[in-house]
Amino acid sequence: MRRWFVCCGLLLTISQAYALEGQANLNWLKTAAFAGHQTEYTGIFVYQYGNRLETSKITHLIEADSEYEKLESLDGPKREIVRHHGQVWCYLNHKMVQVDSQQGRGGFPSLLSDELSALNQNYIISDVGQGTVAGYNAQIVLFKPKDDLRYTHKLWVNTDTGLLLKATVLSERGQVVEQYAFTQLKIGGDLDRSSLVPSKSAAKVQVEAPKANSARVAMYKSGWVADAIPVGFTKMTEVQRPMPGKHAPVTQIVYSDGLSAISVFIEPVDSDEDDVEGMSSRGAVHMYHKVVDKNLYTVVGEVPPRTVMRVLDSIRYNGK
Amino acid sequence: MKNNISTMMDGELFEDEADALLDVIKRDASAHRDWATYHLIGDVLRQPEYVRKDISAGVRERMKNEATVLAPRTRGLTQKVRNIALSAAASLMALGVVTWMSVQITPETNPQLALQQSNIRPVSMKAQAKSNDYLMAHQEFSPSNDMNGGASYIRTVAYSPEEKAQ
Repeated sequence: MRRWFVCCGLLLTISQAYALEGQANLNWLKTAAFAGHQTEYTGIFVYQYGNRLETSKITHLIEADSEYEKLESLDGPKREIVRHHGQVWCYLNHKMVQVDSQQGRGGFPSLLSDELSALNQNYIISDVGQGTVAGYNAQIVLFKPKDDLRYTHKLWVNTDTGLLLKATVLSERGQVVEQYAFTQLKIGGDLDRSSLVPSKSAAKVQVEAPKANSARVAMYKSGWVADAIPVGFTKMTEVQRPMPGKHAPVTQIVYSDGLSAISVFIEPVDSDEDDVEGMSSRGAVHMYHKVVDKNLYTVVGEVPPRTVMRVLDSIRYNGK
Repeated sequence: MKNNISTMMDGELFEDEADALLDVIKRDASAHRDWATYHLIGDVLRQPEYVRKDISAGVRERMKNEATVLAPRTRGLTQKVRNIALSAAASLMALGVVTWMSVQITPETNPQLALQQSNIRPVSMKAQAKSNDYLMAHQEFSPSNDMNGGASYIRTVAYSPEEKAQ
């Protein structure tokens, strides 16, 4: 009888240890999300998807009232993205264009605690040891999905600052879908802040204020639903937004499971343009377009192609 | 047997099946040769800096031939023709294996491509720009933003050869 009690006690301890481990790994994720906003760094990172490899430079600085971030490509044609004061600017075709205003997004921390606990239900989260990335020590955390509707994520989180040093997205067969990793990194300390001051060359750049995006993105209920959203994905927002080159506003519904997101776009088909149907992809992000009953459906997400297709095929109008 | 070896190398065999097969490879010389050949082919396909190949057997074989050179050449031409025919057959066979393997590999490593092919259409510059708009709109809300920060925006501007062509 006593032995039985000991056994029970042991089991309890083990299960508690497991639960605690899951919690500890979730804490790494929280730390990473926090550090991503609160750490000043500059570095070079490589982004690999399919058989392509790109090198970019990133600088992240903190100001009293906002974050400044600049991403510039080091190979191929010049591409640059600047996030400042919650707005996203993109250097495209020799001019800076405001591409996005993050007004719809709440301030950080955006990873909500219920989103994190949902992660525990849909992923087996495990600690797979320690490693070194760009000379910094990292804790490696693996998120293995419990179904085949999402990807495996492997994250290398710096043990000192919590900054994400490397991230790999793996398919269910263990093949790398995309990965990004710092090859050179400087955290904190004396960083070059000259980019915060608008330079003369930057002033020359033509700034195009898009008419479309100046309208506020507002929360809104469209009556559209997608029934085949995988378990664990919760609706984060539903907006009606203007899109460049579109006559009518586009409805966007965003779902997230804490690690990846699925966006559903619904818009009336524009008669004067050729809407492309079919699947395309960029790294782990898959996009699927389809015209159904004079509406163009688009589903975008960091999920396998089958999930994107399944979600698109389940879109229906539920009425307001 | 060859199929099994290739399946195992693709990591598609169950653990117990793989164990059994490894046992066979250890004991059966021809299976062991197939195993080595497949790895060599795989190595070459991956285009590494150097390829590891066991040449000791080949050298030993040549040494045997060297020793018999003392005798006058009697069957010169026929032997040569036979040798050429054999090596031609061997290279054809190797080519066959390589093509077969690449046919096997391509749809596996490229599921997106396979999917695309069913409804592929030429993508115009405009369409490319349009899909970037969707990517941007999606990226704004993606949780990867929090962790990777601006780095996750690389997806929206990643350089693709289609754009280069225009």
